[in-house]
Amino acid sequence: MINKIKITKLERITLIFIILLGVFTIGPLLIIKNKCLFVKNYNPDDFQFNYRDNIIILNANCGNVIIELYPDISPNAVKRFKTLIRSGAYDDAAFYRVIENKLIQAGDLEFGKRENLDYGKVGTGKSGLGLIKSEIDADFKYERGSVGFARTFQMDTEDSQFFIILKDEPLFEGEYTPVGKVLYGIEVLEKVKFMPKFQIVPRPDFINSVKMLD
Amino acid sequence: MTLFKTVLFFFIFIAPLKANTIYDLIKIPNLEIYEINTTNKLRYLYAVKPFRLGINVKKNIHCLNPDKKTLNSKYKIIKTNLNRYSSKFLKKINLKYIVLCENLSIAKINTAGIPDSVMRTLILDIKFNEAYFERAIHHEVFHIIKDSNKDLFNEVKWKNFNKKNFEYANCSTCNNKWNLNTYSRTVGFFTEYSKSTASEDMAEVFSHIMFYQDRANNNDDDPIIKKKILFIKDNIKTIDSTFKF
Repeated sequence: MINKIKITKLERITLIFIILLGVFTIGPLLIIKNKCLFVKNYNPDDFQFNYRDNIIILNANCGNVIIELYPDISPNAVKRFKTLIRSGAYDDAAFYRVIENKLIQAGDLEFGKRENLDYGKVGTGKSGLGLIKSEIDADFKYERGSVGFARTFQMDTEDSQFFIILKDEPLFEGEYTPVGKVLYGIEVLEKVKFMPKFQIVPRPDFINSVKMLD
Repeated sequence: MTLFKTVLFFFIFIAPLKANTIYDLIKIPNLEIYEINTTNKLRYLYAVKPFRLGINVKKNIHCLNPDKKTLNSKYKIIKTNLNRYSSKFLKKINLKYIVLCENLSIAKINTAGIPDSVMRTLILDIKFNEAYFERAIHHEVFHIIKDSNKDLFNEVKWKNFNKKNFEYANCSTCNNKWNLNTYSRTVGFFTEYSKSTASEDMAEVFSHIMFYQDRANNNDDDPIIKKKILFIKDNIKTIDSTFKF
């Protein structure tokens, strides 16, 4: 006959302590690991847009970024951007250059895609559609959330790469072709992986998809 | 090969990240914004620390950070002079950034300014000799104009304006003709420095047109200067027909 052993009060307290210790140790680790936990994921269907054909949805690890394009300011750049979006070219493109709280850059379609990321060449790739001229004459304030076309050191070398700034950059005005501005979801971009002191992010985050709203 | 790749990746990844917009744009370190909201869209920057520039490890261009008081007073003078150039004209000649610093030198030779039309930048020494300071601003601007319009400012054509037995030196610092005093009576040249090279001669003529307007326009007794002035004015008007001297 087996006698039932009664747990003592001390043992019960110890057990509860161990369980609580486990919860408080592992719990925060799980929360910290999930960097998207407190990031709001915006659904474009929840909003009314005046110019739906100029709204794009960039989906990244932490959710959607809703961006309005400005064809009146830079018609050629926006036309190129839309062409690439419609062809799905930006899907799986790496956020290969990320400067904390300042800027994220993506859109190297030759050397910066998930399947063929080349750390030695990323940033130099082309789209195959040719270069377009810089459109920098219109007044445009480069405020937090502004989207611009990247270029080489020379003007008129815009192609497919773009950047989104995470802080105001008045010196960018008249330097880089503006494409649009983030309306909702900039916090998604703030969660994109960066590495302090690194020019190019090793094992970067990727764009899941970029789509036109309509 | 693996080792090579490892070393390459190491350098790519840990290249010091200069998260500095000004450096990214014009490749000059240690600068901050002084004024960027200007009528002609020029952007004035100033050195907060000394900087060195150059294409090789020697980096033979040096400049120091100016004191705030001098900077504030010289900025007004520089701005007044540079405001004579419209944003339209500045865009055509590729000039956008003015870097203010003091004791500017190249290869240990002090200079009023260093123009760089590729970077769209003009570095100015705010402690350059007071006597020529304002005129030197226009002199340096001319170098930007010429660099951006090499076909217009043809040096062979220019040399033909001079007397047949005259020859320029091979470079602006290849002789000791550095005096910037304007001759009281010109004979083909405004200053001794004009005689150094064709390019410096053009810049001296331009700066005299801009700074001593009346004096430069009243040279009826010097046919060489007259031709040179006409040449400069015609070519500037070709760049921008609305340009006002």
